[in-house]
Amino acid sequence: MQQGETVFIVDDDTSIGEGLKNLLESVGIKAEYFDSAEAFQKNWDRSRAGCLLLDARLPGMSGVELQEELNAARIGIPVIFMTAHGDVPMVRKVLKAGAVEFLTKPFGMEELLSAINVAFDYDRLFRANAAIEQSIHARVNLLTDREREVLAMVTAGLLNKQIAARLNLSEITVKLHRRHVMDKMQAASLADLVKMCERIKLESWKAAESAE
Amino acid sequence: MTAVELKRFPEGVYDYVMKPIAIASCFVIVALLWTFPLQHVIAYPFVFLFFGAIMGSAWFGGFMAGIMSVIMSGLLVTYFFIPPLFSMSVAKDSQSFLAAFLVCAIAISIVGSARRRSEGAVRLARDQLEEMVRERTAELEASNREIRESERQLRILTEAIPQQIWRADASGHIEYCNQHLRTYIGQRGGEELGDSFYGVLHPEDEALYRQGFEKAMRTGEGFEVETRVRGADGDYRWFLARAIPQHTEDGNIARWYGVHIDIEEQRRMQQNLKDAQENLARLSRILSMAEMAASIAHELNQPLTAVVTHAYACREWLNSTPVNIERASTTAEKIVQESTRASAVVKRVRALFRKDKEAPVREPADLNQLIRELARLLREDAIRHGVSIRLDLAGDLALVDIDPVQIQQVLLNLATNAMEAMMAKDGQRELTIHSQNQNGREVLVSVADTGCGVPADLVEKVFDPFFTTKSQGTGMGLALCRTIIEEHDGRLWFSNSPQGGAVFQFTLKSGDDH
Repeated sequence: MQQGETVFIVDDDTSIGEGLKNLLESVGIKAEYFDSAEAFQKNWDRSRAGCLLLDARLPGMSGVELQEELNAARIGIPVIFMTAHGDVPMVRKVLKAGAVEFLTKPFGMEELLSAINVAFDYDRLFRANAAIEQSIHARVNLLTDREREVLAMVTAGLLNKQIAARLNLSEITVKLHRRHVMDKMQAASLADLVKMCERIKLESWKAAESAE
Repeated sequence: MTAVELKRFPEGVYDYVMKPIAIASCFVIVALLWTFPLQHVIAYPFVFLFFGAIMGSAWFGGFMAGIMSVIMSGLLVTYFFIPPLFSMSVAKDSQSFLAAFLVCAIAISIVGSARRRSEGAVRLARDQLEEMVRERTAELEASNREIRESERQLRILTEAIPQQIWRADASGHIEYCNQHLRTYIGQRGGEELGDSFYGVLHPEDEALYRQGFEKAMRTGEGFEVETRVRGADGDYRWFLARAIPQHTEDGNIARWYGVHIDIEEQRRMQQNLKDAQENLARLSRILSMAEMAASIAHELNQPLTAVVTHAYACREWLNSTPVNIERASTTAEKIVQESTRASAVVKRVRALFRKDKEAPVREPADLNQLIRELARLLREDAIRHGVSIRLDLAGDLALVDIDPVQIQQVLLNLATNAMEAMMAKDGQRELTIHSQNQNGREVLVSVADTGCGVPADLVEKVFDPFFTTKSQGTGMGLALCRTIIEEHDGRLWFSNSPQGGAVFQFTLKSGDDH
């Protein structure tokens, strides 16, 4: 188990919460316990790596509602649901909404640990993705407005000559801008640049304007 | 008026003057003509023919003609036959004769006319009588015709009414059935009817019908009973049979009028409704059972989950290197706490089922009466399932101190079980409920059926909660029965009867006074 990843346990029954925390600590996994969805929201920040071990039925905000809110806020922490009596529609709903696993109490240790492993893998993947996207965003932010225009046209597949004509610039100037874009974006090739833009869903230049 | 009197005046003259004169003249002349020849045969003045003339005149012409005849005869006799002959003078020695003649003549005239008058009156009376008889006869015929017509219409009406109608004499002998009734029971059935409908009634309803009718005969009131009547096709349908007596003036029953109303559909709908209600009740019972089970399961699951989780953790702490005795020990402590919590839940659930919060109801009750009420309650069900209920109750059964509602529940449960047990088997279906005093301190009740009994391997389980062989059962019925009986300091047990079928028996303590 990697250090730094924590299982966040949310259950209204303290004895179960403490028990799970105790169990996870006994196998060397960091765990934190919250007795309600609201307490979790207040004390947790999205920078913390790990997964959420969430009771589906809670007084106040239910586990299902918490999952909905996290999804709405585009917070990608993996969720493992647990409940004493899950009905099929509820199980289907939370799994569709991206839950990693649905555990029925009382559950075995192996079941729990394998679900946590899967959740941690998801979290790592998600966080790696997020990190890459974040660095691309940072690079895009370095570009000037003109350079962004050139970037959009280049990724749309326009030649230097065409870009020069569109922007009323000389072909030399376009080439210069293009070199700056490649440098700032740390792109080794045009294909690399296109992939980066695709990843952060940066919009390329729209051909609609060029209907001549 | 004046015209009529004017017209009648000449008639009066004719009636009272002309006609009498004519009649009198005729008779007197005939007498005179006959007297002349006879004068010569008989020496003495022969005047008797004049009496005949007077009588004839008075007879045919009335009083006036009689008087005229007397006057004419007097004059003629005086003139022709009283000496001196051919003169109106009368010899001295003939005066008495003339006087006698006149007196006789007047007398005859009066008698004759009186006779005629009375004859006339008799004839008049007879004519009037005849007239009256004719009128009466005509009236009678007219009213007879009316009666026949209204009878015919009534008959048409009774035939046309889409109900079964009958009439019986005072003793209940069927005199008339309308077309609908004849068609329903079939013509042959109609001929066989004779004394009553008993022959076409369902054997199980016959007694009830008979009781109803006999009571109605005694009290002279109408009766009403629901009964099954066999149709021409051999199938029975439910009817509401209703009859009212017609009384004579002295208060005796003259005849019975009855109507059979087909209530088969109604009964079926009622039955469907009842079935639906029962299903609903059963469903809600099962649902609440399920809810309760879910809630109990949840209550127990929480501490159990905690126990399991801590147990895993405890194992891991002990397996770790170095062994973390401190954490293992606190974890074991947690396990103890959570297990205690789980058992507390179990205790709470048991407390929930034990109703020791309220003082139990205990009142002296007659078990026989409860059993009879039960039999009445089950009658419909029993008929529907072809089960006959036999009650074998001790006459001197001691009173028992019980909660009648609970004991009724036990009885109902046992009886319903018994009936359901017999459904699976063809052949005789008899539910017997028996009561007796026992040891002078208890009352024993047994409920026996003629079903298949309970297989040997299940005998131990019949009273277990949640044990059931029925697809829709909750398995709580007999468990609850045993709890109720035991709360009454009684015993409930079960055995298979040697004849096949199951026997459930329970005892209840009888009152101190016994």
